Amino acid sequence: MRGFRELNPAVIAVYYLCVIGTAMFIMHPVIITLSLVGAVTLYITIDKKRKAGLHISFFLLFLILAVINPIWYHNGVTVLFVVNDSPITLEALLYGVFAAAMIISVLYRFRTFSMIMTADKLMYIFGKLSPKISLILSMALRYIPLMRKQTEKVRSTQKALGIYRGDNIADTLKGEIRIFSIMATWSLENGIITADSMEARGYGAQRRTSFSLFRLKVSDAVFLVLCLIPTAIVITAAVMGETDMTYYPALSAVTASPPALASYISYGILSFLPSILEWKEVLRWKYLISKI
Amino acid sequence: MIAIKSAGIRSFIKTAFPFIIIPVFTILGSALFDSGKHLIISLGVAVMTLLVFVSGYEKKKTGTRRMVIASVMIALCVLGRFIPVFKPITALTIITGMYLGGETGFLVGSLSAVISNIFAGQRPWTAFQMLSWGLIGLIAGLAARPLKKSRVLLLAYGALSGIAYSFIMDIWTTLWYSGGFDTAVYLSALVTAVPYTVSYAVSNFVFLLFLAKPFGEKLERLHIKYGV
Repeated sequence: MRGFRELNPAVIAVYYLCVIGTAMFIMHPVIITLSLVGAVTLYITIDKKRKAGLHISFFLLFLILAVINPIWYHNGVTVLFVVNDSPITLEALLYGVFAAAMIISVLYRFRTFSMIMTADKLMYIFGKLSPKISLILSMALRYIPLMRKQTEKVRSTQKALGIYRGDNIADTLKGEIRIFSIMATWSLENGIITADSMEARGYGAQRRTSFSLFRLKVSDAVFLVLCLIPTAIVITAAVMGETDMTYYPALSAVTASPPALASYISYGILSFLPSILEWKEVLRWKYLISKI
Repeated sequence: MIAIKSAGIRSFIKTAFPFIIIPVFTILGSALFDSGKHLIISLGVAVMTLLVFVSGYEKKKTGTRRMVIASVMIALCVLGRFIPVFKPITALTIITGMYLGGETGFLVGSLSAVISNIFAGQRPWTAFQMLSWGLIGLIAGLAARPLKKSRVLLLAYGALSGIAYSFIMDIWTTLWYSGGFDTAVYLSALVTAVPYTVSYAVSNFVFLLFLAKPFGEKLERLHIKYGV
């Protein structure tokens, strides 16, 4: 089995749909905790920069979101303390904490999703549905660096001509607007030339084949099964009402019936699956290096 | 241009989604589940609506040129996103919709959201962003004639679409946070988002004020010279 990042993009997308969909669907403390820990673990595993900034900002967001709920809602039977004649209840606080944990876990998941789903993989997924939209996306992505380069060229030219001087704001703004106007004309003209050249080479003449690096391999199928079976178990348990949780007026006990336990274990597998695959790759790499 | 190649899938999406699947999904979803799950239902409906719009691209003869020009406009939108505070993305979408038609406006608005999120990071609300920007472009295309004629109307539409964008995105924030629509939370979300709402409205207004005419002339010229 390959590392999580080397899997087929469609399989990765299905995984994210399963793991995020179920976490958002089931407001259950165990599931949400598993989801949050799994998401953070995956982020730490694949993040190479190791910066604390993101974790700190997410933690602050978590605190704010957790505190808003008890300030806003006062239902619940266990009163912790009273502020300005309004009671702060344990139930509202816990609901706020778990709602915040769910939101933060989804935000972490999307961080890793952006890191794993690079532009080429995203294009592959769009291309499955519509080759034309995928072509538009890839052309737009190509135009961005091209336009940046051309903007620099135009800017230097303007400077050399002495038209664009940056000694006061009005001048700078005027110069920037002129550069933008030049760039707009240039890129539209360039687009027309590109289109004509594409047509001259036979674009749109008849059916075309497309090439992509991604194939559906055996390991993709295995991963898909490993991802869909736990999801099915979790959803079944949720539909049966085994993982229902009431927060108001009083907290219900966390159930430990066999179906509920099965769904916790399944969600744990689902949540940690990519991290495990990534660790396995790291271990294998170390092992191979040690043999040299 | 045709976005989805297979005619069977296209006609299936076009007939089944708006008339059967989306209504059934919405009614069943809100009847079977409690309000905490409305978020997922709304996300599902947003994705399906996008699919319906995409399947609507049917005309064969819009050609390669228009497609390339759409991708140029998307690139300009995304580049404009790097300007701090003021974002020209809505203004450029409106201009595209006005001069190149609603279809292209929808395409430019929605795909700009995808591409700029490739740089900024995909978020759960990408689908909503795609839908709201796309609709802003589409409406601009449908109302192209009065918008071209009256500058006041255009500027008002720009400012209004900035406010509407913020309001729509706050519905999502509310659903996400409080699990179910809650007027108090929605209002407080609107209040906390006031600086953003103002910056959207002002940047749309300013960019339309300065860009609409020169950019319109360029696109008009393209239309006359190359028939885009």
